[in-house]
Amino acid sequence: MTADVQHRRIHVIQGEYKVSDDPDVVLSTILGSCVAACMRDPVAGVGGMNHFLLPGSANGSGGEATRYGVHLMELLINGLLKKGARRERIEAKIIGGAKTIAGFSNVGEKNAEFAQQFLSDEGIRIVGSNTGGDVGRKLEYFPVSGRARQYPLSGAEMQKTVALETAPPRIIAPKPADTSIEFF
Amino acid sequence: MSIAQKIKVLIVDDQVTSRLLLGDALQQLGFTQITVAGDGEQGAKIMAQQPHHLVISDFNMPKMDGLGFLQAVRSNPATKKAAFIMLTAQGDRALVQKAAALGANNVLAKPFTIEKMRAAIEAVFGSLK
Repeated sequence: MTADVQHRRIHVIQGEYKVSDDPDVVLSTILGSCVAACMRDPVAGVGGMNHFLLPGSANGSGGEATRYGVHLMELLINGLLKKGARRERIEAKIIGGAKTIAGFSNVGEKNAEFAQQFLSDEGIRIVGSNTGGDVGRKLEYFPVSGRARQYPLSGAEMQKTVALETAPPRIIAPKPADTSIEFF
Repeated sequence: MSIAQKIKVLIVDDQVTSRLLLGDALQQLGFTQITVAGDGEQGAKIMAQQPHHLVISDFNMPKMDGLGFLQAVRSNPATKKAAFIMLTAQGDRALVQKAAALGANNVLAKPFTIEKMRAAIEAVFGSLK
Protein backbone atom coordinates (compact mmCIF):
# COMPACT_ATOMS: atom_id res chain seq x y z
CA MET A 1 0.00 0.00 0.00
CA THR A 2 2.97 2.33 -0.01
CA ALA A 3 5.28 3.65 -2.67
CA ASP A 4 8.53 1.88 -3.33
CA VAL A 5 11.14 2.58 -0.71
CA GLN A 6 13.39 4.65 -2.95
CA HIS A 7 10.64 7.17 -3.64
CA ARG A 8 10.49 10.39 -1.69
CA ARG A 9 6.92 10.98 -0.63
CA ILE A 10 5.40 14.46 -0.59
CA HIS A 11 1.95 14.74 0.89
CA VAL A 12 -0.50 17.27 -0.54
CA ILE A 13 -3.19 18.45 1.85
CA GLN A 14 -6.47 20.16 1.07
CA GLY A 15 -5.96 23.62 -0.39
CA GLU A 16 -2.38 22.88 -1.42
CA TYR A 17 -0.52 22.10 -4.64
CA LYS A 18 2.92 20.60 -5.21
CA VAL A 19 5.06 20.45 -8.34
CA SER A 20 8.16 18.36 -8.96
CA ASP A 21 10.52 17.35 -11.74
CA ASP A 22 12.20 14.68 -9.61
CA PRO A 23 11.52 11.16 -10.92
CA ASP A 24 12.04 9.81 -7.39
CA VAL A 25 9.20 11.85 -5.94
CA VAL A 26 5.72 10.51 -5.38
CA LEU A 27 2.94 12.92 -4.52
CA SER A 28 0.30 11.47 -2.25
CA THR A 29 -3.01 12.57 -0.85
CA ILE A 30 -6.18 11.26 0.75
CA LEU A 31 -9.47 12.12 -0.91
CA GLY A 32 -13.04 11.82 0.28
CA SER A 33 -15.32 14.16 -1.62
CA CYS A 34 -12.26 16.27 -2.44
CA VAL A 35 -10.77 16.14 -5.91
CA ALA A 36 -7.13 16.11 -6.93
CA ALA A 37 -6.05 17.26 -10.37
CA CYS A 38 -2.79 15.64 -11.42
CA MET A 39 -1.07 17.35 -14.35
CA ARG A 40 2.20 16.93 -16.14
CA ASP A 41 4.13 17.86 -19.25
CA PRO A 42 5.63 14.61 -20.52
CA VAL A 43 8.21 16.43 -22.64
CA ALA A 44 9.49 18.76 -19.93
CA GLY A 45 9.35 15.95 -17.37
CA VAL A 46 7.52 17.94 -14.75
CA GLY A 47 4.25 17.27 -13.01
CA GLY A 48 2.18 18.18 -10.00
CA MET A 49 -0.99 17.75 -8.03
CA ASN A 50 -3.49 19.96 -6.28
CA HIS A 51 -6.18 18.98 -3.81
CA PHE A 52 -9.35 20.97 -3.42
CA LEU A 53 -12.80 20.88 -1.98
CA LEU A 54 -15.08 23.59 -3.19
CA PRO A 55 -16.56 24.87 0.05
CA GLY A 56 -20.29 24.15 0.09
CA SER A 57 -21.43 23.63 -3.44
CA ALA A 58 -20.16 25.03 -6.67
CA ASN A 59 -23.33 26.77 -7.79
CA GLY A 60 -23.14 29.39 -10.47
CA SER A 61 -20.11 30.47 -12.40
CA GLY A 62 -19.27 33.57 -10.43
CA GLY A 63 -19.35 32.25 -6.88
CA GLU A 64 -16.53 32.49 -4.37
CA ALA A 65 -16.29 28.69 -4.36
CA THR A 66 -15.60 28.60 -8.08
CA ARG A 67 -12.99 31.31 -7.78
CA TYR A 68 -11.27 29.29 -5.07
CA GLY A 69 -11.19 26.15 -7.25
CA VAL A 70 -9.95 28.10 -10.26
CA HIS A 71 -7.23 29.59 -8.08
CA LEU A 72 -5.88 26.16 -7.11
CA MET A 73 -5.94 25.04 -10.74
CA GLU A 74 -4.11 28.17 -11.79
CA LEU A 75 -1.46 27.81 -9.08
CA LEU A 76 -0.74 24.28 -10.27
CA ILE A 77 -0.56 25.27 -13.94
CA ASN A 78 1.65 28.29 -13.16
CA GLY A 79 3.89 26.04 -11.04
CA LEU A 80 4.32 23.66 -14.00
CA LEU A 81 4.99 26.49 -16.46
CA LYS A 82 7.65 27.88 -14.12
CA LYS A 83 9.46 24.56 -14.23
CA GLY A 84 9.51 24.51 -18.01
CA ALA A 85 6.15 22.96 -18.94
CA ARG A 86 4.31 24.21 -22.01
CA ARG A 87 0.61 24.77 -21.65
CA GLU A 88 -0.35 22.93 -24.84
CA ARG A 89 1.51 19.80 -23.74
CA ILE A 90 -0.06 19.51 -20.29
CA GLU A 91 -2.14 16.39 -19.69
CA ALA A 92 -4.34 15.82 -16.67
CA LYS A 93 -5.87 13.12 -14.53
CA ILE A 94 -8.82 13.80 -12.27
CA ILE A 95 -9.25 11.66 -9.17
CA GLY A 96 -11.64 11.76 -6.22
CA GLY A 97 -15.05 13.28 -5.62
CA ALA A 98 -16.63 10.35 -3.79
CA LYS A 99 -20.07 10.60 -2.26
CA THR A 100 -18.85 10.07 1.27
CA ILE A 101 -21.92 10.92 3.29
CA ALA A 102 -25.24 9.33 2.45
CA GLY A 103 -28.06 11.85 2.22
CA PHE A 104 -25.78 14.86 1.82
CA SER A 105 -25.87 16.79 -1.41
CA ASN A 106 -23.31 15.30 -3.72
CA VAL A 107 -20.46 17.74 -3.21
CA GLY A 108 -17.95 15.21 -4.53
CA GLU A 109 -19.68 14.97 -7.88
CA LYS A 110 -19.79 18.77 -8.15
CA ASN A 111 -16.07 18.97 -7.41
CA ALA A 112 -15.30 16.46 -10.13
CA GLU A 113 -17.59 18.23 -12.59
CA PHE A 114 -15.90 21.51 -11.82
CA ALA A 115 -12.44 20.04 -12.54
CA GLN A 116 -13.59 18.47 -15.80
CA GLN A 117 -15.29 21.67 -16.94
CA PHE A 118 -12.26 23.75 -16.06
CA LEU A 119 -9.87 21.50 -18.01
CA SER A 120 -12.11 21.31 -21.04
CA ASP A 121 -12.58 25.12 -21.06
CA GLU A 122 -8.82 25.58 -20.85
CA GLY A 123 -8.15 23.01 -23.55
CA ILE A 124 -6.13 20.75 -21.26
CA ARG A 125 -6.28 17.10 -22.26
CA ILE A 126 -7.76 14.68 -19.71
CA VAL A 127 -5.88 11.39 -20.08
CA GLY A 128 -7.49 9.61 -17.17
CA SER A 129 -10.10 10.04 -14.53
CA ASN A 130 -11.56 8.11 -11.69
CA THR A 131 -14.24 10.00 -9.83
CA GLY A 132 -17.39 9.36 -7.85
CA GLY A 133 -18.26 6.18 -6.00
CA ASP A 134 -19.01 5.82 -2.30
CA VAL A 135 -15.53 5.18 -1.01
CA GLY A 136 -12.68 7.64 -0.49
CA ARG A 137 -9.30 7.11 -2.05
CA LYS A 138 -5.67 7.23 -1.19
CA LEU A 139 -3.87 8.55 -4.25
CA GLU A 140 -0.25 8.36 -5.32
CA TYR A 141 0.95 10.26 -8.38
CA PHE A 142 4.38 10.12 -9.95
CA PRO A 143 4.78 13.62 -11.39
CA VAL A 144 7.42 12.75 -13.96
CA SER A 145 6.04 9.47 -15.34
CA GLY A 146 2.41 10.45 -14.85
CA ARG A 147 1.59 7.12 -13.27
CA ALA A 148 -1.28 7.25 -10.76
CA ARG A 149 -2.15 4.58 -8.20
CA GLN A 150 -5.14 4.59 -5.95
CA TYR A 151 -6.37 2.50 -3.05
CA PRO A 152 -9.80 2.52 -1.45
CA LEU A 153 -9.85 3.86 2.11
CA SER A 154 -10.68 1.52 4.98
CA GLY A 155 -13.68 2.28 7.22
CA ALA A 156 -11.58 4.01 9.88
CA GLU A 157 -9.64 6.04 7.31
CA MET A 158 -12.93 7.06 5.69
CA GLN A 159 -14.34 8.33 9.00
CA LYS A 160 -11.23 10.39 9.63
CA THR A 161 -11.24 11.84 6.12
CA VAL A 162 -14.94 12.71 6.21
CA ALA A 163 -14.43 14.41 9.60
CA LEU A 164 -11.62 16.51 8.13
CA GLU A 165 -13.57 17.42 5.01
CA THR A 166 -16.76 18.34 6.84
CA ALA A 167 -14.94 20.55 9.37
CA PRO A 168 -15.69 24.26 8.87
CA PRO A 169 -14.06 25.28 5.59
CA ARG A 170 -10.58 26.57 5.98
CA ILE A 171 -10.21 28.70 2.92
CA ILE A 172 -6.62 29.66 2.58
CA ALA A 173 -7.03 33.31 1.99
CA PRO A 174 -4.58 35.27 -0.11
CA LYS A 175 -2.56 37.94 1.61
CA PRO A 176 -4.18 41.10 0.35
CA ALA A 177 -2.65 43.17 3.13
CA ASP A 178 0.82 42.30 1.85
CA THR A 179 0.11 42.71 -1.79
CA SER A 180 -2.24 45.65 -1.93
CA ILE A 181 -0.82 48.97 -2.92
CA GLU A 182 -2.82 52.09 -3.39
CA PHE A 183 -1.62 55.34 -4.80
CA PHE A 184 -4.83 57.31 -4.53
CA MET B 1 -25.62 56.20 -16.37
CA SER B 2 -23.40 55.00 -13.54
CA ILE B 3 -19.65 55.62 -13.45
CA ALA B 4 -19.07 51.90 -14.02
CA GLN B 5 -21.08 51.99 -17.26
CA LYS B 6 -18.90 54.79 -18.62
CA ILE B 7 -15.62 52.99 -17.99
CA LYS B 8 -14.19 50.84 -20.79
CA VAL B 9 -12.43 47.85 -19.27
CA LEU B 10 -9.91 45.50 -20.84
CA ILE B 11 -9.44 42.10 -19.18
CA VAL B 12 -6.18 40.31 -19.98
CA ASP B 13 -5.71 36.74 -18.75
CA ASP B 14 -4.48 33.58 -20.47
CA GLN B 15 -7.01 31.34 -18.71
CA VAL B 16 -10.48 31.19 -20.25
CA THR B 17 -12.06 30.42 -16.88
CA SER B 18 -10.36 33.35 -15.17
CA ARG B 19 -11.52 35.70 -17.94
CA LEU B 20 -15.10 34.47 -17.56
CA LEU B 21 -15.02 34.85 -13.78
CA LEU B 22 -13.51 38.29 -13.98
CA GLY B 23 -16.01 39.39 -16.61
CA ASP B 24 -18.81 38.07 -14.42
CA ALA B 25 -17.46 39.94 -11.38
CA LEU B 26 -17.19 43.18 -13.36
CA GLN B 27 -20.73 42.83 -14.67
CA GLN B 28 -21.92 42.40 -11.09
CA LEU B 29 -20.14 45.66 -10.29
CA GLY B 30 -22.08 47.39 -13.07
CA PHE B 31 -19.54 47.44 -15.89
CA THR B 32 -20.98 46.99 -19.36
CA GLN B 33 -18.10 47.88 -21.71
CA ILE B 34 -15.77 44.91 -21.33
CA THR B 35 -13.16 43.64 -23.81
CA VAL B 36 -11.01 40.55 -23.27
CA ALA B 37 -7.54 39.49 -24.43
CA GLY B 38 -5.60 36.24 -23.92
CA ASP B 39 -2.11 37.60 -23.33
CA GLY B 40 -0.12 40.81 -23.02
CA GLU B 41 0.73 41.00 -26.69
CA GLN B 42 -2.93 40.86 -27.72
CA GLY B 43 -3.78 43.29 -24.90
CA ALA B 44 -1.20 45.80 -26.10
CA LYS B 45 -2.59 45.58 -29.65
CA ILE B 46 -6.14 46.23 -28.46
CA MET B 47 -4.99 49.14 -26.31
CA ALA B 48 -3.06 50.68 -29.20
CA GLN B 49 -6.11 50.45 -31.47
CA GLN B 50 -8.71 51.41 -28.93
CA PRO B 51 -7.52 52.75 -25.58
CA HIS B 52 -9.52 51.58 -22.55
CA HIS B 53 -9.85 53.49 -19.27
CA LEU B 54 -9.13 50.51 -17.07
CA VAL B 55 -6.93 47.46 -17.62
CA ILE B 56 -7.18 44.43 -15.35
CA SER B 57 -4.38 42.05 -16.22
CA ASP B 58 -3.03 38.80 -14.91
CA PHE B 59 0.72 38.66 -14.24
CA ASN B 60 1.58 35.11 -15.30
CA MET B 61 0.93 34.84 -19.04
CA PRO B 62 2.71 33.44 -22.09
CA LYS B 63 4.26 35.68 -24.76
CA MET B 64 4.14 38.97 -22.86
CA ASP B 65 3.59 38.76 -19.10
CA GLY B 66 1.72 41.30 -17.00
CA LEU B 67 4.80 43.44 -16.30
CA GLY B 68 5.77 43.56 -19.99
CA PHE B 69 2.22 44.49 -20.86
CA LEU B 70 2.17 47.19 -18.16
CA GLN B 71 5.36 48.66 -19.65
CA ALA B 72 3.82 48.61 -23.13
CA VAL B 73 0.73 50.45 -21.85
CA ARG B 74 2.78 53.04 -19.95
CA SER B 75 5.17 53.70 -22.84
CA ASN B 76 2.43 54.48 -25.36
CA PRO B 77 1.36 58.16 -25.05
CA ALA B 78 -2.20 57.22 -26.11
CA THR B 79 -2.64 54.67 -23.32
CA LYS B 80 -0.23 55.69 -20.56
CA LYS B 81 -2.94 57.30 -18.43
CA ALA B 82 -5.10 54.18 -18.28
CA ALA B 83 -5.65 52.72 -14.82
CA PHE B 84 -3.87 49.39 -14.50
CA ILE B 85 -4.72 46.74 -11.92
CA MET B 86 -2.49 43.67 -11.85
CA LEU B 87 -3.82 40.32 -10.66
CA THR B 88 -1.51 37.69 -9.31
CA ALA B 89 -2.02 34.15 -8.12
CA GLN B 90 1.21 34.31 -6.16
CA GLY B 91 1.25 36.91 -3.38
CA ASP B 92 4.84 37.94 -4.00
CA ARG B 93 6.15 41.18 -2.50
CA ALA B 94 8.94 41.59 -5.08
CA LEU B 95 6.38 41.42 -7.88
CA VAL B 96 4.19 44.02 -6.17
CA GLN B 97 7.16 46.36 -5.87
CA LYS B 98 8.12 45.87 -9.53
CA ALA B 99 4.53 46.48 -10.63
CA ALA B 100 4.38 49.61 -8.48
CA ALA B 101 7.68 50.87 -9.90
CA LEU B 102 6.37 50.37 -13.43
CA GLY B 103 3.24 52.34 -12.65
CA ALA B 104 0.53 49.84 -11.69
CA ASN B 105 -2.30 51.50 -9.81
CA ASN B 106 -3.07 48.45 -7.73
CA VAL B 107 -2.17 44.81 -7.32
CA LEU B 108 -4.81 42.31 -6.28
CA ALA B 109 -4.15 38.75 -5.13
CA LYS B 110 -6.24 35.91 -6.55
CA PRO B 111 -8.65 34.54 -5.58
CA PHE B 112 -10.24 37.94 -5.10
CA THR B 113 -13.71 38.58 -3.78
CA ILE B 114 -16.04 40.90 -5.65
CA GLU B 115 -15.82 43.38 -2.78
CA LYS B 116 -12.00 43.41 -2.97
CA MET B 117 -12.22 44.00 -6.71
CA ARG B 118 -14.67 46.85 -6.11
CA ALA B 119 -12.33 48.38 -3.52
CA ALA B 120 -9.34 48.11 -5.87
CA ILE B 121 -11.22 49.83 -8.70
CA GLU B 122 -12.81 52.46 -6.45
CA ALA B 123 -9.36 53.30 -5.07
CA VAL B 124 -8.59 54.57 -8.57
CA PHE B 125 -11.92 55.88 -9.88
CA GLY B 126 -13.85 56.73 -6.72
CA SER B 127 -17.38 55.37 -6.20
CA LEU B 128 -18.62 53.31 -9.14
CA LYS B 129 -22.24 54.29 -8.60
